[in-house]
Amino acid sequence: MCQMGENDYTAIRAILCGDKEAYGALVVRHSQSLFRVAFRITGNEADAEEVVQEAFLRGYQKLVSFQSRSNFGTWIYRIAVRCALDRVGSRPGEDSGRTAHEPDFPPNGAQIADQAAGPERLLLSREIGDMQETAMHSLTAIERTAFVLRHMEGLTTDEIASALGIVPNAAKQTVFRAVQKLRSRLAALRANSHG
Amino acid sequence: MKHLNQERLIEHHYGESSAAVKRHLEACGECARAYMALERDLAEVKVAESPARDGLYGELVWRSLSNSLPTYALRRPRWPVVWLWRGIACAAACVLLLGAFMAGRRWEQGRPAMTSMTLGKHDERTKQKIVLVVLGDHLDRSERLLVELKHADASNTDTVLPMQQEARSLLDANRLCRQSVTQIDDPALANALDHLGRVLSELANEPGELSGSTITRLQNEMNTDGLLFEVRVLRSRVPDPQPSGAIQPNGGAI
Repeated sequence: MCQMGENDYTAIRAILCGDKEAYGALVVRHSQSLFRVAFRITGNEADAEEVVQEAFLRGYQKLVSFQSRSNFGTWIYRIAVRCALDRVGSRPGEDSGRTAHEPDFPPNGAQIADQAAGPERLLLSREIGDMQETAMHSLTAIERTAFVLRHMEGLTTDEIASALGIVPNAAKQTVFRAVQKLRSRLAALRANSHG
Repeated sequence: MKHLNQERLIEHHYGESSAAVKRHLEACGECARAYMALERDLAEVKVAESPARDGLYGELVWRSLSNSLPTYALRRPRWPVVWLWRGIACAAACVLLLGAFMAGRRWEQGRPAMTSMTLGKHDERTKQKIVLVVLGDHLDRSERLLVELKHADASNTDTVLPMQQEARSLLDANRLCRQSVTQIDDPALANALDHLGRVLSELANEPGELSGSTITRLQNEMNTDGLLFEVRVLRSRVPDPQPSGAIQPNGGAI
């Protein structure tokens, strides 16, 4: 009978030997990081929780193909990114080919003004948050994911490429496009809110 | 001076640029301003803080998942089965190899005795076969010569010379056949060949051309001794030569 050990490799060996409960240790150990990235990509808690569960489920099913040379945390993280990307991409109205110049984000200035019920500071903060959210919505699913991984998760270009299943140069270009779009959108929003 | 494009500036912002980019930014005011604008914009994009999840979150996720996960325990009995089959296959291969080895050794051990016996018999049969073939051919030719001699016209010398040449050829062959017959232990055949040898010798060794008197004398001896009849009887005892093993004696060569 295989016994569950302390590290991920021992747990994986135990799982493959039939000790299903050993997977619980891996789930507990990596749930937080998966939820964080899932939330950053999907933008809401419910989706992020779904992504976490789906990622662990997929990971369990593919555990036989897991290469012991790699790190389980990195491996399951990549699965979670793919799950989140799939979820964001499958949302109604999401189009991965959408360009930055197609404004389908909500009206910004009026929306911000409608929410201006609190103190001035809170208003400014909320205004910036709304602008950012609106700008982020101008990105395609893969651009948003690549940007989140680069800007928020701090992944390198190679790591982003690996997580998204694309070549490093494509990952770099995706991040570049995302930044360009965000800057363009933020500039427009700024001009609109001040105008 | 070539200014840095936005892509280079973004790379620099995320720490993936070369030292040359940093040096350029220190030296070029225009690029430095562009870079500051980029930093300002990206700084506005705050890192979204995910809602806090307590320490029990992992447990909750596991609890929701555990019931839907199949166990890998089903794989466990497969390994012994796989190894069992592999073991059986290896054992079968070993048995086959051992059997082939032992059979080979037995065959090799039994081979010399069998070979000597078989070869001995084979050699004996081959030898007899050759003798019979040669003998049959010799008797055929001798019979033809004796028939020609019996009916030869003593006054016609044109037919005498070919008979003499044939007799010389047959004389050598007869000597070899006689030697071979001694191994067969057939007295009747040996006597017949001796008798034939004497006639052939007279025919072959007659000085000059065969005279009419010599031919007449030999015809009388043949009739008296019944040599032609004897050769025919012997020829009937000898089986016909087989095409595959036929060796045509040419003169004295067998």
